[in-house]
Amino acid sequence: MTSKKRTKVIISEDYAEKLAKEWFKEKIPPEFLVRLNRKEILHAHSYGGLSRFFKELTEGILCGTKCPDCGGPKGNIWLPPRVHCPDCWREMSWVKVNTEGAKIYTHSMTNYPGAGFKGSVPCPLISVEIPGVCTKPMSYLSEFAEGEPYIGMPVRPVFRTKNPTYTILDLSWVPVN
Amino acid sequence: MITFGKGNLRIPRLSRSVYVVAAGMTNFRKFYPEKQTVELCLEAMRMAVVDGLGMEPKKFKEFVNFCVYSQFADHFGDQLLAAAKIHDYIGLDPLGNIEVKTGGATGGSSFLAGVMAIASGYASCVPVIGWERMDEVDTRQGNAYIASAACKDFESELGWSYTTYYALMMRRYLREYHPARETLAKIAQKNHHYAGFSPYSQLPGDYSLEEIMNSKIVSDPLTFPECCVMSTGAACLILADEDTAFRLTDRPVKVIGIGSGSHTLRAADRRDMPVLLLPHETPEMYKDRKSDWPGFTGFLAARFAAYLAYHMAGIHNPVHELDILETHDAFTVSDIQTYEDIGLRPYGRGAEFVESGECYLGGKLPTNLSGGLIGSMHAVGATGIFQLAEIFWQLRSEWDKFHADEKYWRMYGKTKPKDFQSLQVPGAKRGMAISHAGTGSHVTAAILHRGWSYDK
Repeated sequence: MTSKKRTKVIISEDYAEKLAKEWFKEKIPPEFLVRLNRKEILHAHSYGGLSRFFKELTEGILCGTKCPDCGGPKGNIWLPPRVHCPDCWREMSWVKVNTEGAKIYTHSMTNYPGAGFKGSVPCPLISVEIPGVCTKPMSYLSEFAEGEPYIGMPVRPVFRTKNPTYTILDLSWVPVN
Repeated sequence: MITFGKGNLRIPRLSRSVYVVAAGMTNFRKFYPEKQTVELCLEAMRMAVVDGLGMEPKKFKEFVNFCVYSQFADHFGDQLLAAAKIHDYIGLDPLGNIEVKTGGATGGSSFLAGVMAIASGYASCVPVIGWERMDEVDTRQGNAYIASAACKDFESELGWSYTTYYALMMRRYLREYHPARETLAKIAQKNHHYAGFSPYSQLPGDYSLEEIMNSKIVSDPLTFPECCVMSTGAACLILADEDTAFRLTDRPVKVIGIGSGSHTLRAADRRDMPVLLLPHETPEMYKDRKSDWPGFTGFLAARFAAYLAYHMAGIHNPVHELDILETHDAFTVSDIQTYEDIGLRPYGRGAEFVESGECYLGGKLPTNLSGGLIGSMHAVGATGIFQLAEIFWQLRSEWDKFHADEKYWRMYGKTKPKDFQSLQVPGAKRGMAISHAGTGSHVTAAILHRGWSYDK
């Protein structure tokens, strides 16, 4: 009888460190094994029907959407835009947002952002109030001086047209003066 | 939705009575390497069944016919279908079970699912088990995971931090209503203080208001002691129909009101609307209101949940008709906002609930005697269940049994404080818990009442 040739299963070498000795600055008691599992994951996230919005930010254009059916004379532009009207479910139309008169509705200087934040700190996060817009979009003030931002501060949008991130970070606001 | 149809405001009705018969929990810690999630959940259940019902687990399991599991984020535990592991670990296969997810309100929503299962007649005995394992990642990554529950297109990239999203609300709240800054710090002071009397708590401490206000600022104006902890731990409740409840205990606690509400994930998208009035409010109260409602200073979801729960329970004045309250104090500002949403004070006057002393032990409506999310725990999927567990013990006059007994302090390697004080509210009959997600995307309000002498 000829002996069978058997194939071996190889577990790939893992050069990353495997066990944590401490975590949250606490020493881990030796009887408990705490394994470090590193993750690097790539997601392909589509902006779908909102792609136009993010594309136009990189071209220096700020667009919102407006319902042809439910849109009243004022306060009816959605920003963040939505493809569909939440009230009647019809597709809305794209409109360029006139940001004249835009001002800061509220703000917070963030010192300890979560992992993955791409901006420098401290970073002033803001919500913006824009005439004719029924929402108060969140954004950031990309230039600020002592005493800024403040509620009611007039602001205008600026766009990251060079080396865009294709995220909402491509839109920020600066003081009008 | 800014205008309501008749169907939208229908008051919920349970087809048959639902009772809570037991509660259990683990301690809550920033880092819990000694126990896996399944071990934590089993220990919470063992407390409810063995210490609470005084039953052998095998005997108890004969009653169970359905289970609800409560976990906020698979990201944290890094185990999808974790409920299946827990269900197996506590030996409840092949009984049916579901896992519920509504962000920070997951515990409250899981409780609602359990209540529905029993009220409908589908089940007669339902454990509701919640947990969160938040210690596999560091705090910055933890904040990023939590901020994955903000809108990924228009919010998350802006700070990856819910503290910032609440700080935006706080700035607006201070601007619109002008409360004393100290009043907000007092909420943090109170909850850290009460956490000192709980063997389960993660961050007890006695701080001066100056210490709280002068601590490092996470995202201004919110300082570190004004923000909730990030925890690992578990909590559970056991629900039953009337017949089963009285077979398991002679003092079950009855669910007399339960409501749930929602609002846009992005606070940015909240359109101005008329204030939805609670049973004790009138339109005159808000006729001179200048700012938007709910704007950035109120939570429509909380108001809506309270509206349903109060109408269902027949409550007209919550401060007078409730004996104890647990709120979702993720941040000092969200707590004061909630006081107004649930009608403890009219909009703009939430500070009075603190300054009047009503929120403290001995006051009209002691709030977060558990230590809350700021002082005790925020293992997200467990939180709403933890709140109801604390209320359950209070209503049965068992707060001392589960907090004062040295055995629990020893079990968690702690020493009972020398200045230990009982936080049992004497004669508490009725309590409410508010479970809250996002910047108010989901909120539940659950009202419990002593079931053994309740003759409604």
